[in-house]
Amino acid sequence: MTFVNATLLAGAAMVALPIILHLIMRRKPRYFEFPALRLVQQRHETNQRRLRLRHLLLLALRAAAICLLAFALSRPSVQFGSGVGSREAPVAAVLVFDTAPRMQYRQGNQTRLEAAREMALWLLGQLPADSQVAVLDSRGGPGAFHADIATARQRIERLETTPAARSLTETVEDAAQLLRQSELDRKEIYVFTDQCRAAWPSAAAARMQARLADLRDVGIYLIDVGIEQPTNTFLGLPRLSAQAMSTNGSLVAYTEVGLISPAAATETRAVELYLLDDQGQLRRAGVETVELKPGETRQVEFRIGSLPIGVQQGVIRVLGQDGLPADDERYFTVSVQKPWTILLAAPAPADEYAYFVRNALAPDTARLRGQSRFVCTVLDQRRLLDHNLQSYSSVWLLDPAPLDPVAWKNLADFVAEGRGVGIFLGRNVGRVDAFAGTAALELLPGRPSLQARRPNGDFYFAPRDYEHPVLAVFRPVAGTVPWQAFPVFRFWQFEELAPNTTVILEGNDGSPLFYERPLGAGRVLTLATPLSDRPDAKAWNLLPVGVIDNAAPFVMLCHQMADYLVGAADEMLNYTCGQTAVLNLAPSVQPRRSFLLIAPGDLRMPLSGESSGNRIAVSATEQPGNYRVVAGGGDDAVDLGFSANIAPEQTELDRISLDELKEVFGPFSFQPPARSQEQIERVVSGTRVGRELFGLILVILAGVLAAEYLTANRFYRDAE
Amino acid sequence: MSSVERYLQPSVINQIKRLDLRAQFIVKGFLHGLHASPFHGFSVEFSEHRKYTPGDDPKDIDWLIYAKTDKYYVKKFEAETNITGYLAMDLSRSMAYTYRQELTKFDYAVCLAAALCYLMIHQQDPVGVVAFDTRIRRSLAPKARRSQLAQVLSLLASIRPAGQTDIAQSLNQLAAMLRHASLVMLFSDLLADPEGVLQALYRLRHGGHDVIVFHVIDEAEARFPFDGMVELEDPESRQRLTLDADAFRADYLSAIESFRQRYRRECAQARIDYVPLDTSMRFDRALMEYLQRRSVRS
Repeated sequence: MTFVNATLLAGAAMVALPIILHLIMRRKPRYFEFPALRLVQQRHETNQRRLRLRHLLLLALRAAAICLLAFALSRPSVQFGSGVGSREAPVAAVLVFDTAPRMQYRQGNQTRLEAAREMALWLLGQLPADSQVAVLDSRGGPGAFHADIATARQRIERLETTPAARSLTETVEDAAQLLRQSELDRKEIYVFTDQCRAAWPSAAAARMQARLADLRDVGIYLIDVGIEQPTNTFLGLPRLSAQAMSTNGSLVAYTEVGLISPAAATETRAVELYLLDDQGQLRRAGVETVELKPGETRQVEFRIGSLPIGVQQGVIRVLGQDGLPADDERYFTVSVQKPWTILLAAPAPADEYAYFVRNALAPDTARLRGQSRFVCTVLDQRRLLDHNLQSYSSVWLLDPAPLDPVAWKNLADFVAEGRGVGIFLGRNVGRVDAFAGTAALELLPGRPSLQARRPNGDFYFAPRDYEHPVLAVFRPVAGTVPWQAFPVFRFWQFEELAPNTTVILEGNDGSPLFYERPLGAGRVLTLATPLSDRPDAKAWNLLPVGVIDNAAPFVMLCHQMADYLVGAADEMLNYTCGQTAVLNLAPSVQPRRSFLLIAPGDLRMPLSGESSGNRIAVSATEQPGNYRVVAGGGDDAVDLGFSANIAPEQTELDRISLDELKEVFGPFSFQPPARSQEQIERVVSGTRVGRELFGLILVILAGVLAAEYLTANRFYRDAE
Repeated sequence: MSSVERYLQPSVINQIKRLDLRAQFIVKGFLHGLHASPFHGFSVEFSEHRKYTPGDDPKDIDWLIYAKTDKYYVKKFEAETNITGYLAMDLSRSMAYTYRQELTKFDYAVCLAAALCYLMIHQQDPVGVVAFDTRIRRSLAPKARRSQLAQVLSLLASIRPAGQTDIAQSLNQLAAMLRHASLVMLFSDLLADPEGVLQALYRLRHGGHDVIVFHVIDEAEARFPFDGMVELEDPESRQRLTLDADAFRADYLSAIESFRQRYRRECAQARIDYVPLDTSMRFDRALMEYLQRRSVRS
């Protein structure tokens, strides 16, 4: 217990006053003659004892009243939290700021960050002298106590939001770590937050609690600068039909647009898509109008054709004013190139073997109009040995007969350079020894051993998950693909799979059917049953059309395999802020050591030493927008690009409840979020120097005085 | 209440200074209320002869009857058929007490005694007065003459209560004085040792006297109206007690009730009429008691 005016406790000595009065100035009772006194004498003694007791009670009440008055005036406080020592003892305070983009939410001509800054600057002035202050924000990085309050003030004034903000649980964890370095007894963490759920992920709560547990005692104060009922229109991350596409394809860009608002009215918003042209100017390529109800999200779709070759970048915007502009723009990048060429090699008659695959990858209707994403060349596999493979992006061996070891070697070299080969084994394998040569085993997942037969038609593809890029296209419709309608009657089994082989897909009885094996910079996919059986032969499977005459799964699978083998599926050009962007260089580009990064706002910076092999890594992706990486000129020029968007959780404005916060903090108590300076003062004062008992004591004092009044009145009631 | 009956209120009587008027008003008020009572119209003219018995005054022998019958008969005087009343007034200091500073216990007793005297004289009952403290201080022999009223009232008006009292001793003295069976009407607050007082009353009763005890206490003594801390002093013994009146009231009322109850019980056993009164009560209660007693006697 502490006292604001401890000296006033001496006033309790005044308790002697009523005792003295009681002893020497006892108030005289009223006098009456009463002849019948003799009747009362016998009962008088009992009455006197009661009287003395009441006198003592009165005396005790008066003494208590004086003591309570002195006690109340000395303003005692009781500590319920982690307060140590007196109110003016210095503290080690870490001011933690949420600087996620949602802190830019503007209301009352002030962003949440500005409100937090204002509150923090006031709070700095309230800290006791000689306090240690550190300022941490969501940017992360090592924190340190500032040399003085003025430095901390400057740091607060310079705070800005960061698109790649860390969670507050992580920042509080850093604050706890920092406080361990302080030797001051009193440690406090002030968290300036908008109380949004995204800032307090429960997954990271355990680590924060463990770090807080290292501290003996720490006061945690939450300062809520958030908005209870925000109004905001937001865009989700753009989703593209492909990040790398051919000139013949169309780009489909999807995004979600949503509205949160306390009002119930439907709002109409226009969403526009802009593309950057050669001069770097934005050109509107599409506009959609959506009706939005609060709490609802709608999907908007833009279809863009005839994109020129090269890196194409754009932006999607939702029009209209709202509190948070950070989530009103989304950026995207797509790589457009010439159609990929695929060599389909098969035994004679090759056209028949390749019939289904070629029509899946390059249907005649599209091919004749020059709109096919892929250009397929069908080749008799006997000519494979002397065929130049360098012009192909991928080679597919459809039901291959035994190949010359040199051909296998050529294919292995082809793969090692970074391309892809698909092998689809079938009836033409013949003797398995023909596929067990050293050169063949470099590509195959293992030595073929047996033909497995499932003549009843009850064996089919049964993907366990759809994580592999080849199967990713089926992910949204997982569970609805009728794989049992596409039975497999025969397939090859392998013995002793190569160590780096992975099984992509299995049959419904668990037998492996589809394998992947990396080789050098490229990869080999092997399907244990032919993909494109001869139409006139007894089929090993019914994959192309199934028993229901539906070619859609087959076409989707072929396109996914083709994308994967030509490397289109690998292209990742759209990131969230803070992620390291990895860009693939074409195999023909000479490795070099320096590139130029053009960041949003035309900020140019060199990228040196960050490329390795045929990839460039860019870690400076904090700003949302479209980035370009360029180097050289002429034929050897490099012109790559990618986009970075603010992750959606960084702009989610859902508020966290107090119960959820309690779960995040677990066993550690924190002060209820304060929203005003008065509330901060109260909770800080309550924890630091305890809760003042002034009011409570005054209530007790009033009770004692009332009891004294009643008792005294009963004793000395004046005569009417 | 009629204008006459209101004189039965002590507060009204207190406003009348002359004692004879007080007595007159009280009795008239009382009789006014007795129109339908069984006591109305009883005779005061009755007389008879009886045989002479040794001890009778020879001068009372009716020689005319002796001449006719050769037997001694004494003429029974009218007074003998009536009640000889003695108004025994307590002169103790405590009788001068009044809480309201209006009618003291003694004043109340005097009014009552005067009224009774008035009534008795009008019924030709002889009435006398004795006033006592530790012993009989003043006395007036009973007579039924009209002039007796003035003498009695004069005496009652002249006496003042003061000092200690010894009721038992005084009653014993009175008992020794009375030659004929009489009606002794004691006006006292009985604030003395009850045992001695009761013994003295028994002795009176044993002497063939009828006794009516008018136990007159003050209104404050009956109700204990004090509150808060009070210091009480006995005016006779000068003994003081400080007490919390509120807390003590229940105890006191219990004590005074048991005090009265004892007298009521003991008197009933000795066929003594005990009339508890306080100074706020109407006078007719006492007058009614007298008339009842006289009715029994006659």
